[in-house]
Amino acid sequence: MSLSSKPSSSGSAPKSPGSKQRSSGSGRRTTWRDTLKALPWLAPALVLIVGVVFFPAGLMLFNSTRDLAISGLDKGSVGFDNYATVFGFSQFWPIIGRTVIWVVAVVGLTVVISLGLAQVLNKAFPGRQLVRLAVIIPWAASVVMTTMVFYYGLEPYFGVVNKFFVDLGLIDNPAGYGWTKNPTTAFLWSIVIAIFVSLPFTTYTLLAGLATIPRETIEAARMDAAGPVRTYFAVILPQLRGALSVAVLINIINVFNSLPILKVMTGSIPGYGADTIMTMIFKYIELQRKVDVASALSVIAFAIVIIIVIVYVRVVKPLKEV
Amino acid sequence: MRRTRTLGAIAATAALTLTVSGCGFGGSDSGDESGKTTLDFLVPTYSDVTKGLWEDVIEGFEAENEDISVNLEVQSWDNLEKVVSTKIQAGEAPDIYNGGPFAGFASDDLLYKAEDVTSPETFQDFDEGFLDNETLEGTAYAVPLIASTRALFVNNELLDEAGVKEAPKDWDELLDASKKVSELGDGVAGYGMPLGSEEAQAEAAIWLWGAGGTFGDEKEITIDTPENLEGAKQIKKMIDEGATQDDPGSSQRTPLLDIFVQGKIGMQVGLPPTVGQIKDSNPDLDYSVVPIPTKDGSPMTLGVGDQLMAFQNDGDKAEAITKFFDYFYTAENYLPWVEAEGFLPVTKSGSEELADNEDLKPFLDLMPDAQFYPSTNSKWSATDGAFKSTFGELESKPADEVLGSIQDQVDEG
Repeated sequence: MSLSSKPSSSGSAPKSPGSKQRSSGSGRRTTWRDTLKALPWLAPALVLIVGVVFFPAGLMLFNSTRDLAISGLDKGSVGFDNYATVFGFSQFWPIIGRTVIWVVAVVGLTVVISLGLAQVLNKAFPGRQLVRLAVIIPWAASVVMTTMVFYYGLEPYFGVVNKFFVDLGLIDNPAGYGWTKNPTTAFLWSIVIAIFVSLPFTTYTLLAGLATIPRETIEAARMDAAGPVRTYFAVILPQLRGALSVAVLINIINVFNSLPILKVMTGSIPGYGADTIMTMIFKYIELQRKVDVASALSVIAFAIVIIIVIVYVRVVKPLKEV
Repeated sequence: MRRTRTLGAIAATAALTLTVSGCGFGGSDSGDESGKTTLDFLVPTYSDVTKGLWEDVIEGFEAENEDISVNLEVQSWDNLEKVVSTKIQAGEAPDIYNGGPFAGFASDDLLYKAEDVTSPETFQDFDEGFLDNETLEGTAYAVPLIASTRALFVNNELLDEAGVKEAPKDWDELLDASKKVSELGDGVAGYGMPLGSEEAQAEAAIWLWGAGGTFGDEKEITIDTPENLEGAKQIKKMIDEGATQDDPGSSQRTPLLDIFVQGKIGMQVGLPPTVGQIKDSNPDLDYSVVPIPTKDGSPMTLGVGDQLMAFQNDGDKAEAITKFFDYFYTAENYLPWVEAEGFLPVTKSGSEELADNEDLKPFLDLMPDAQFYPSTNSKWSATDGAFKSTFGELESKPADEVLGSIQDQVDEG
């Protein structure tokens, strides 16, 4: 799953039911009969939703309670044994902890940097189009490709980043340092890359938010002798709340579910010192060939995301207008 | 209204989440149209030429057998085993499959016996050692396809420079020579030791078996044994005394071998195709190929064989499969295939014909001392995975702990 390509397609999804309700809700109440009449028009979408969302989800739930042989044969139900395996794994809690660090660090830093970038790009200056284009590029490139570029750059012996550090004299060993071969540095570099590829979407969402702020409010603040800092925190930031909260929500989901960056950057490291839930699911499938246990962990991951989203939606009310 | 929003958000979450976990249904019908028998044939890529080589074989075969058509599907090694288990789950197993471990399929009763899908002449032409490797409880369920043995590639120039006169034969000499080469500095490493996930089990076998250890047999997997521990301790000694490259625990084999080819590593274990790789990318490299050093210098190497197996699908395709195998294993079809891929042949007739091939000679000579993974044990896949994810921890953890942890993972199963 890619970090950067998803938001564009599904970013509008949470909004649409709400906006539809608003337009029709002002008139008369919709009844079951109306729904039934609308069914022929809704059917294709419903079929798609059932086929693409509910069927795989159901299958994943089902698989998580089965004993699947390496060859792919289904050997019957095992109840909740697969879940017991997941929770019984000694590295389970460290992995959960690392997943939290991963999401908080990537989303937090991405949003802070994007707020700055959006502010800069919102000002008129010569060459603004070019700079806006440059910000989009990490979004246009494939995440795996971007990560591979970093990965090879960080390789000892031939990586440009290592070469650079060695030439500056910051690293003594002429072969360079194995950035991607040690859990901590590989994980930190993964965070850097994840921020890099999350910036375009976040920046543009915030830029769109900035464009909706009426100039009068800023002028009014200036008339009242508010300094730039006060204006930003008291006038601009509150009005960005809608854009900001949507950007944060979608980033949380995307970053939580991100596999490719960590897979490429930390895939060669033995043990589980740099794993998050997603890479652990992958290791269950790839190395241990336990599709059943992987399904159980997927269900747990799914539940965690749903809980985060519900709490977030309740607390922040991102879709409520200011 | 708030509820709708929450639901909407959940639906969006589901859509985002499930794309990662919901993959895996597919396949194609392999029906018999117009009385033709269609054989679905799933193979991995050994090199860039693999697909073309199989296409040539199939073209020749179809010209001779007009009532059979072969449907080739090529996958990367990374995906191969996932693809085949997905196909089996969907009831679409390939008729012929070129893969690694077959024991899991055989014990699930999915495979034809090898004798049922080959003619006696073809069956008897297989080298007994390799055929043993395809046998589960006395019955062969797969036929060997290619084999490789490993040998130590030595960079003569670096060893000369470091004042090492002869290529090492036992562990003490290897440690000594590697340390001397490492001391040359300038980023040069003495011994290239790839313990990363790519093929940790191979480097593990080379060391653990070097003191007389094994990984077990078709009934039992034995990793945590005194002999294996001795090998693991020697690996640690190599690492601790600075005889290897940095970060051996997470170094992958292929990129590390590239660095050997570039001339930055003194010694590393390689395979027959490595010879071709050096010819292509750095023909000036002054190297020699010698047997792998062991604890006391007695000969030992890791042999790996890949195999072809035939799945029992609806309709009796045994006859068509037999025809295909008989066609493929005749010397004039089989040898060009093996030679182009740079591996060792597994038929008696083939070994005789290639005996004077200079590139393959060092590897063919090692064949009698080759030991194999216990790949007929149904727990081998779990063992393989445990090595890949755990063995590199030797770099930082005590040897007995690492072997114990692998044994535990295998026993849990």
